[in-house]
Amino acid sequence: MTAISLLLGQSLLVLVAAPFLNGVIKAVKAVFQGRRGPSVAQPAFDLLKYLARESVVSEHSSWIVRCAPLVYFVTSLAAAGLLPTFFDRPPLERLGDVVVLVGLLALGRFALALAALDTASNFGGMGTSREMAFAALVEPALLLALFALAIPVGSTAVAEVAGGPWGPARLLALGALFIVAIAETGRIPVDNPDTHLELTMAHEGMILEYSGRALALVTWASHIKQVVVVSLLAALFLPWGTAQQAQLGSLAVGVASYLGKLTVVGLALALTETSYAKLRIFRVPDLLGAASLLALLALISGYVVGR
Amino acid sequence: MTSVAVQSVTLEDQVRGLLTDRAVVRHTGERLAVEVPVTDLPESCARLQHGLQATLATMVGYDDRARSGGYRLAYVFQAPDNWLSVEAAIDPETAAFPSVTPRLPAAHLYEREVHDMLGLVPEGHPDLRRLVLHDDWPAGVYPLRKDFDPAIPVPRVEGAPHRFHHLHGEGIVEIPVGPIHAGVIEPGHFRFAAVGEVVLHLETRLFYTHRGIEKLAEGKTAAQALALAEHTCGACALSHAVAYCQAVEALAGAEVPGRAAAIRSLLLELERLYNHVGDLGNMCAGVGFAVGASHGAWLKELLQRLNERVAGNRFLRGVGRLGGVRRDIETSQALDIQQTLHQVRGEFERFVELVLETSSVMERFRGTGRVETESARALGAVGVAARASGLTGDLRRDQPYAAYGALMVPEVVQSQGDVQARAQVRIEETRASFALAQQLASDLPDGPISARMPSLPPFAVGLGYTESPRGSNVHWVRTGADGTIDRYRIRSASFCNWPVVALAVPGNMVPDFPLINKSFELCYACLDR
Repeated sequence: MTAISLLLGQSLLVLVAAPFLNGVIKAVKAVFQGRRGPSVAQPAFDLLKYLARESVVSEHSSWIVRCAPLVYFVTSLAAAGLLPTFFDRPPLERLGDVVVLVGLLALGRFALALAALDTASNFGGMGTSREMAFAALVEPALLLALFALAIPVGSTAVAEVAGGPWGPARLLALGALFIVAIAETGRIPVDNPDTHLELTMAHEGMILEYSGRALALVTWASHIKQVVVVSLLAALFLPWGTAQQAQLGSLAVGVASYLGKLTVVGLALALTETSYAKLRIFRVPDLLGAASLLALLALISGYVVGR
Repeated sequence: MTSVAVQSVTLEDQVRGLLTDRAVVRHTGERLAVEVPVTDLPESCARLQHGLQATLATMVGYDDRARSGGYRLAYVFQAPDNWLSVEAAIDPETAAFPSVTPRLPAAHLYEREVHDMLGLVPEGHPDLRRLVLHDDWPAGVYPLRKDFDPAIPVPRVEGAPHRFHHLHGEGIVEIPVGPIHAGVIEPGHFRFAAVGEVVLHLETRLFYTHRGIEKLAEGKTAAQALALAEHTCGACALSHAVAYCQAVEALAGAEVPGRAAAIRSLLLELERLYNHVGDLGNMCAGVGFAVGASHGAWLKELLQRLNERVAGNRFLRGVGRLGGVRRDIETSQALDIQQTLHQVRGEFERFVELVLETSSVMERFRGTGRVETESARALGAVGVAARASGLTGDLRRDQPYAAYGALMVPEVVQSQGDVQARAQVRIEETRASFALAQQLASDLPDGPISARMPSLPPFAVGLGYTESPRGSNVHWVRTGADGTIDRYRIRSASFCNWPVVALAVPGNMVPDFPLINKSFELCYACLDR
């Protein structure tokens, strides 16, 4: 299988699966809340609706506001290319490792933060300050956890890291990365993706000024980023069922198992969101600090318990 | 001599002892009215409040130029066992009176409102910015004066923008929110001054929903104005309707039959139930605890469907009638109430357990949005907000109306004054309301459901009050020469409690504001009227 066709196929899968993953999480949450929720296709319908509408931009804003959605979208999609999804190896394997992955996510966040500040709206500013404060704690935890897994295999390539040994280090890293996943997907107890309360928003505050096509792009990029985070967990901790060769049968199994993994991790996220209230904003660093601590323990236990 | 008379004589002596010789005490029905010279207003109000442990229940200004040649003010106090009003005439030339607010902070909003709506100037009031009327209202046009005709549209002007308080200092950010919000809620403008996430000061600008209910009521018959009264607010429609009916009945000296009184109390408890249960669910939404929020919404829905089956309306509208109630409760409906409440009560306990045992929810509730007892008392807080801050007032117990005189309404009070205390008060009151409603539904007295209303005497004043889910509603009605309504003043619970919200927020985090606001769950429409 050529890298190009793998990249195209995987990108297409991610683009389509992204809104549906969000739909599945919403549906699961609705069930837990005893409601009949919207269809799992609703986020996709929403994207189509936004795409058909014109984008209104504040006249006080600069080119940054117009470029940021593109940057966010492209970095998120590129990050997806760095991960193995249904195939054994990531399509952009030669271009980057886990460090590049973290960098791409940070770049997307940076673009969005600049855009939110550029509109000079209060909620943009508040959302940005919160998001960046969280990010300053999330990114070290993410890197640390990934290094804890990378050191035993002596490589930062995603496929190599995924094939590392199972041990206490891996379980501790799983704990750290799950907390990171909650924060990166903007979910309770860190942020509330469903809120309309202007004063409590972090991620939603940053994108408040967007409308129409630009909003579609930003929302889609958020969905893709969610798939990236979930795929990272799936690749590292559920490394089964991926296609080894470019044969129809094994590819079909790979795609099916990938979608199954997305659902399983999505279910775990939905369950967490259902069980907790949102944290007091100054308690969020405690939770994210716990992620860093777990990651650090993973790193140390790699040496203490042995590789 | 009946016991009531003994008490009112004592009260009268007390009042005379507290005031100077210039005060004239007279009886109007069971209430005491004290006429004082306008210069004595602040001193008299302060002395009565401190001397009798009375609280300011409402304040009314009205245009009496046609009859007495001037404006009049009435400060109505709720003493422990009676109501009394301190009244003064105001010279129409100066249209000024000494402000009571420096002595009684609870008078703050009332005096600003009189300033806006009647053009009476409370001299020495600390803050005479506009309250009810907004920037585009022309200066010198006073809606509640008798020479203002509501049928003629008022041309709007480019007025001076509202002066907000500004805090200056390094790192202080002003965050304006609203009046249009991202959710489907009523309009209100909130302006925070914050350092980082910590709120230093909150200023509210409300009164975006003015419908001129009080002006519209002027010249209407008492029966016509009932429709206005119950549209003051959606969530407390029945409390307002009953308070109004009681004001008119007191004015006319009408007796409400026992069955009608019991039905009023029963439906008022159903109103409290669906509000409290819904509000508890909303508090869960305020901390992003969606399971609790949807559980609360479900129970509220069950209760509102019961309302519809029993009263024909989910919001209990169209139930009130002067002299009684409009709809009877059949035996089958009384049974339905008992069965439904039994079922909802069980579910409610499960809901409460879910909320109280979710530590992440309680962690958010605890210590958030604290109101000290002294602040609550000084600002005249009522209802859940007051009872969560250590004040015990509950009109159902203190001044029983409808069928409450024969019922045991338990005293629910918490002292911490935070969001958790307000949640706890709601939980306890909901439990009590379940019991009260069950008791009323199982034992409705026989008899007619309404009495004939006598015609209303001219120039008489009636006071009606209910303890709504949000606190006391006080309705003040005065008739004109022909027995139609001359002045109608609605004082809702929210009117008293909005200043308390502004006080509860500073010191908390910006994202805690929605939770604090929901823990008070005030109404914008019945503040504004």
